[in-house]
Amino acid sequence: MKRLIMILAALASPAMAQDFSDGSEAKTWNLYGESPARFEAKVVDILCEMTGDCAAECGGGTRQLGLLRRADDVLVFPNKNAQAAFSGAVVELAPFCGKEVEVDGLLITDPDLGAKHIYLVQKIRNLCDAEWTAANRWTKEWAKANPEAKGKGPWFRRDPRIKAQIAAHGYTGIGPEAEKPFIKEWFE
Amino acid sequence: MRIIAMSLCLLVSGTFGAQASEGERVQIKGEIIDTWCYYSGVMGGPDAVTGSAHHTCALWCSAGGIPVGLLAEDGTVYMVLKIKGDANSAGGDTQLNLASHEITADGILYKRDGLNYLVVEKVVTDHGITNLNHEDYGPIPGFAIPDPTK
Repeated sequence: MKRLIMILAALASPAMAQDFSDGSEAKTWNLYGESPARFEAKVVDILCEMTGDCAAECGGGTRQLGLLRRADDVLVFPNKNAQAAFSGAVVELAPFCGKEVEVDGLLITDPDLGAKHIYLVQKIRNLCDAEWTAANRWTKEWAKANPEAKGKGPWFRRDPRIKAQIAAHGYTGIGPEAEKPFIKEWFE
Repeated sequence: MRIIAMSLCLLVSGTFGAQASEGERVQIKGEIIDTWCYYSGVMGGPDAVTGSAHHTCALWCSAGGIPVGLLAEDGTVYMVLKIKGDANSAGGDTQLNLASHEITADGILYKRDGLNYLVVEKVVTDHGITNLNHEDYGPIPGFAIPDPTK
């Protein structure tokens, strides 16, 4: 029995104890539960990976993408790119669909909230390339896709879909008229 | 030397695993949330980054391609991969329209490496925004609502 336990422990240990901070140049975001992590992985369409419902080119930027980590076969979920702009990671990873890459960024782990293998990607490169690509292209891609929204201020104040939602349902979602007293009081 | 390095790269290529897993039919009631703010704590504690207090930010994040999740009543988060036949989980309209809404979802649950993934086949009930916490927390983040006096 003791031997069996030791074998099971040895089998389980790589995934449990592996530290991916070696060689990482990730910048801190001073987040609770963050840890720098640089690792090799394959970029996959998560829906395809989990269910077999696949699309050409991983959905071409429309589907959430994952990082199937080489060291332990864990599916890491990049939730965020490197910009402080309410932007995800799909635009950054989509050009690497199906490719083997190296990424650098921050892993987020918070057992109280169920956060495990959540990732903020800061840079990415093909496994065999020397050159890194910074994971900060989202706002430029948004500007290309929304030329009519050109103007001053951050993208999220100009985005047509967001503006339509706020016009219809207010900033709190309870309705523009219903939230008026709250907004008035908040800014008094 | 570069040829040797490239050869080594080719040798180690194609070794990643890939597997589709069995799902389980479930029905879950919960709130459609923005997972980054929830998991990272970047805007504060979990109670502040849900509901009407966080609605504008939830719109920003959903439109920005950050994955949405279904936060169940027991605190479990389900990463939503597809909803009502719409696989556009990176900024799609279906998920944007449900930001901060409490829904009852019927679909297939998949689990891998400690995370829950949900394919919502049907929104059985859209309860609307029921977590009216903006009076308690104010807008999260504070600049979510522009100052109307400026």
